[in-house]
Amino acid sequence: MRGVLGVFHELDALTDAVAALKKERSGDITVYSATPRHEIEHVMAHGPSVVRRFTLIGGLLGATFGYWIAIWVSDYWPIVVGGKPIAAWVPYTIFGFEMMVLIGSLATVAGLFINARIPRLTMTVGYDPRFSDGDFGVWVACPPDKERTVAATLQRNGAVEVRSER
Amino acid sequence: MAAVTEPVRAPRRSNIPSANVQLPAVQSYTQVNDEIIATLRGTKAWFVGLGLAITCLAIGAAAWIYQIYYGLGVAGYAPPVMWGVYIITFVFWVGIGHAGTLISAILYLFRAGFRTTIYRCAEAMTVFAVMTAGLFPILHLGRPWKFFWLIPYPNWRLIWPNFKSPLVWDVFAILTYLTVSTTFLYIGLLPDLAALRDRETHPVRKQIFSLLSLGWRNSDREWRHFARAYLFLAAFSTPLVLSVHSVVSFDFAMALTPGWHATIFPPYFVAGAIFSGIGMVFTIIIPIRRWFNLKHYVTINHLDAAAKLCLTTSLIVGLAYMTEFWVAWYSGNKVEQEYFINRVFGQWWWAAWIMLLCNMVLPLSLFSQRLRRNTTWLFILSLFINLGMWFERFVIVVPSLSHEFEPWQWTEYAPSWVDWAILLGSFGWFSMWFLLFIKQFPVIAIAEVKEIVPPPLRRAHPHEDAIDVNARHLSFETGTPGEHA
Repeated sequence: MRGVLGVFHELDALTDAVAALKKERSGDITVYSATPRHEIEHVMAHGPSVVRRFTLIGGLLGATFGYWIAIWVSDYWPIVVGGKPIAAWVPYTIFGFEMMVLIGSLATVAGLFINARIPRLTMTVGYDPRFSDGDFGVWVACPPDKERTVAATLQRNGAVEVRSER
Repeated sequence: MAAVTEPVRAPRRSNIPSANVQLPAVQSYTQVNDEIIATLRGTKAWFVGLGLAITCLAIGAAAWIYQIYYGLGVAGYAPPVMWGVYIITFVFWVGIGHAGTLISAILYLFRAGFRTTIYRCAEAMTVFAVMTAGLFPILHLGRPWKFFWLIPYPNWRLIWPNFKSPLVWDVFAILTYLTVSTTFLYIGLLPDLAALRDRETHPVRKQIFSLLSLGWRNSDREWRHFARAYLFLAAFSTPLVLSVHSVVSFDFAMALTPGWHATIFPPYFVAGAIFSGIGMVFTIIIPIRRWFNLKHYVTINHLDAAAKLCLTTSLIVGLAYMTEFWVAWYSGNKVEQEYFINRVFGQWWWAAWIMLLCNMVLPLSLFSQRLRRNTTWLFILSLFINLGMWFERFVIVVPSLSHEFEPWQWTEYAPSWVDWAILLGSFGWFSMWFLLFIKQFPVIAIAEVKEIVPPPLRRAHPHEDAIDVNARHLSFETGTPGEHA
């Protein structure tokens, strides 16, 4: 992977640069900021996160498992008390609920990891430790022939440092 | 850090919207990193605290070894009082564990701004409190080395889990709560661990932070999915907070024992748990903000808002106490009436009055804005709340069991030195983990604090006119850096 990395001090300079890069269709853009900012979300204009699907599926599977384990165990080893039903749905809702929360939460985390592509074993290229401090960054993955144009766009929009990496 | 200036003399305002509590003394992202990461440096007071915690833990561990050797009889149980200090303390610690997720999840969904700087402490407190609570069912066993027999899974030991038992519900509820709370804490820590990794110069520590941060890079892709995942985790945790202590209350309410068999127990327990948890948050956060110089992060406005929450839950708990008495009287059930008269005028009257004084009467002081904003009083009150909530569980467990239906069964109960030593050990265990946590991980969420710090801009902020300057700069503590009109 190769491309150009730009470092910005100001948020609006960063969003201006991203807007210009998107207009030029320079390459895949990754934006870095130490905290989530709605300005960046707007300029990147991604669709909604698909983590919600992991949550939904995990929650449904968990609820099903919670009811199933309680009903299966009760039927496998029936304890008859006072003629009450062997499998009672009211108390078993506790297991359905708890398992929905547990599996749904873990599925949400799995969704985050898969979609955010973490754990990342190497930092590779296109990152600077300043991005977790106070600066903002843009990484544009682009072929060598576009690097000069991208660098010019970044500098024109207020980048304090621009460098090519591979 | 901004220059120290005169405290503002703003017009008196009775209420500050909790969603509008700001950090006027925090000016930049770098300042946030510098000041919060600085808290990770070891200090003499921290080592003293850790030594004290480990000493308490060692006393508790020694008492447990003694109990294992001589049997459960050394623990002060007197039939039919077979739930004593261990179950009381179990419920106490589960309750403490409730405020963390309330503050981090429920207040997150409600967009209550005052949570931002206190939630990391509260979340860590939750995890360690539930870890502490989890020890007590094992301590309560005659043969603790067979504790895994309690775990409800189908097995070939001829012990089959009864899914209609509240004790089995409890296992599921508490293990789920521990797992989800730990996950929530860890996911929230990821961006902060990346900040620590990027600042760290020691190669071994840098490597550890790199592994723990999972290669987090603060990219837009990561933040987009993180925000959604965090929201869903908060949404899952919210009903979980309500369910866990409801399930713990079923351990009592499902029994026919006088004083226990009441439908009010789930909301009563949940409110009590949140109340005690907030009390413990004050006990922890007030010294931390002082010792770590974080008064301009955990401001008086934050504490004021949390104190209002404390007051609200205290009122709910007080209402529940009164309702219990009223229901006993109105039911016409002689056994129930006798039990509640015995609760306040009988052999355990002192415990009931400690409970009522600490949980109902003293928190009424929080109606006073001056006391809500007095950190010394909040700290002292929090100690009373911790004491009162432990005695609340004592009052629920011991008088009921020692004063059941049959007068010939009525008995006395006195905790033994082993009970007290293990109770002390539980505080040592909790404090040890918490102290270790606050020296390895940021005690305030760095990334979330940065969200409320205005970002550096070339042009004027488009919404600058909408910021309520008076609300942001209202009556701060004298001498807190950067507090200016």
